[in-house]
Amino acid sequence: MDLLHNLTLGLGVALSFQNLLYALVGCMVGTLIGVLPGIGPVATIAMLLPITFHLPPTAALIMLAGIYYGAQYGGSTTSILVNLPGEASSVVTCLDGYQMARRGRAGAALSISAVGSFFAGTVGTIIIVIFAEPLTRMAQKFGPADYCSLMALGLVAAVVLASGSVLKAIAMVFLGLLFGLVGTDVNTGAQRFTFDIPELSDGIDFAPIAMGLFGIAEIVVNLEKHMTRSGAIKVTSLWPTREEIRRAWPAVLRGTTLGSILGVLPGGGPTLGAFSAYTLEKKISKRPGEFGKGAVEGVAAPEAANNAAAQTSFIPMLTLGIPSNAVMALMVGAMIIQGIQPGPEVMTKKPDLFWGMIASMWIGNAMLVIINLPMIGIWVKLLTVPYRFLAPAILLFCCIGAYSLQNSTFHVMQVAIFGVVGYIFVRLGCEGAPFLLGLVLGPQMEEYFRRAMLLSRGDPMVFIQRPISLGLLIATAVLLVLMALPSIKKAREEAFQEEG
Amino acid sequence: MSRLLSKDFLSGVMFIAFGLVALYFGRNLQMGTTVRMGPGYVPHMLAYIMLALGGIIAVMALLTPGEQVETPKWKPITMVTVGIVCFALLFETAGLIPALVVLILIASLGGEEFKLTEVIMNMIVLSILCIVVFKLGLQMNISIIRGVW
Repeated sequence: MDLLHNLTLGLGVALSFQNLLYALVGCMVGTLIGVLPGIGPVATIAMLLPITFHLPPTAALIMLAGIYYGAQYGGSTTSILVNLPGEASSVVTCLDGYQMARRGRAGAALSISAVGSFFAGTVGTIIIVIFAEPLTRMAQKFGPADYCSLMALGLVAAVVLASGSVLKAIAMVFLGLLFGLVGTDVNTGAQRFTFDIPELSDGIDFAPIAMGLFGIAEIVVNLEKHMTRSGAIKVTSLWPTREEIRRAWPAVLRGTTLGSILGVLPGGGPTLGAFSAYTLEKKISKRPGEFGKGAVEGVAAPEAANNAAAQTSFIPMLTLGIPSNAVMALMVGAMIIQGIQPGPEVMTKKPDLFWGMIASMWIGNAMLVIINLPMIGIWVKLLTVPYRFLAPAILLFCCIGAYSLQNSTFHVMQVAIFGVVGYIFVRLGCEGAPFLLGLVLGPQMEEYFRRAMLLSRGDPMVFIQRPISLGLLIATAVLLVLMALPSIKKAREEAFQEEG
Repeated sequence: MSRLLSKDFLSGVMFIAFGLVALYFGRNLQMGTTVRMGPGYVPHMLAYIMLALGGIIAVMALLTPGEQVETPKWKPITMVTVGIVCFALLFETAGLIPALVVLILIASLGGEEFKLTEVIMNMIVLSILCIVVFKLGLQMNISIIRGVW
């Protein structure tokens, strides 16, 4: 009964005119950036963070969530029609989607991917509804030591699933934690690393860092590359044949299941879900030879998986306040900008925001199917806009957005500085996502750490004596040990090679 | 020599540098005790972890062959950064339009192709868009051209 009550509350909030409008705006922007290569959801959400400051909290989060899952839809369109993945999560869709399109089945591939995504999104939303309450209730029993260990687990898991060197990713997490310390110490009022700059006494603002690291650095890297575009394939009929439907639906089911599970894991998310789903389909298929030549399953499963994972990756963020990937870290940032501390309290203190956002995800998914299929032609036309027009425009919006945070050009300067820092990170092969997670969790983690040590009278054993904390720490240690095992290390490297 | 220019070695050096900077600027922060931690406890802890990790990464990079750093192309990163800095300097003193024109011009110079007519078109379109979205739509308190609007 409670579930039903919560859902009606959520639908009531999500169906208000204002929130519907923002969900639509989010979906459209998301699809747009999903279609455009060279700008992803992380960069876009980072750039739009300052604008959300001017919106009511619920509307802001609904819009940002819309961008995230909208990008999953948009990315698949270009993968299928022009063999250009708009997003990392739709790279695998290219393999079979584009081949299907070349055989004249572009319409079928598009509609299967859209309907499969919608189905997966619906399942993902239901999973959030079912698991949100028990998880939140569990989280409310956590003490400071437990929280500290939970964050450690979240950070380590995020590292494991990031591509590239594990050691460097761990160092990036610590670097993020270090940057999170800048500002006034809450317990003593001491100024830390503020260099006598008054703007830094409240801490480094999250938005300029995210914009610099992801927005600016991404633009610069793209400007260095020469981008070529090939012509799009014409879409004829959107209807799949009976044979295609028969082969697609079990793949959609498998993709949804796999994606939902992988989405919840810290560090998981759409990209991991899509790759795993594709590999699974290829392994269990009776016709593995067809993969890469236009197998329907190769489109249906990863598309369902990336969308399911996009939905379920909200679970740890909404219930525990622990972001599992860079986009979720930005959502946490958006909540903090709005004065909401993410964590188990959000559901009890702001039920309208919590359930409204979840309900809006389902509505947004429905919107995407309706707007996307008829508008495919328009989206494909947008692909012909050259990057030399886009790059300055994106830069401009970054600058104005950063300024509008507090009407100060200091933030614009920060964007420039972190743009350079982000570029250095890219050149040195250091991932930005672990840094961002460390930055977001840093202040809270220090707070919990100090509180736990105070409660235990300075005895670090408290982290081992509390059963919840111990369990979480054991899980963290197991993950770290697994990473060091040569066989797993090799498998992981291979998995990411396929991705890159 | 080549290993000194590998991505891993240089990132190790970068982490060590961040650790040293944190130690230097955090030297006056009180450490406190483990029961009542001062503001300096966690910063010191993190700085030492950075030094240790950076050291391990750098040493391991010297022992194993790794990926080389690509020679950076200086033009895009310089132009983009200079563009943003100019924007920051001009935005409050001269207004949105002058800042926009300078940013777009400099940023466009950072790309591969540069056609003046296209850049001017881009400026006009973006000026209109910004005025509509930020000034009229979001009602932001910004001046379009200082002293005029």
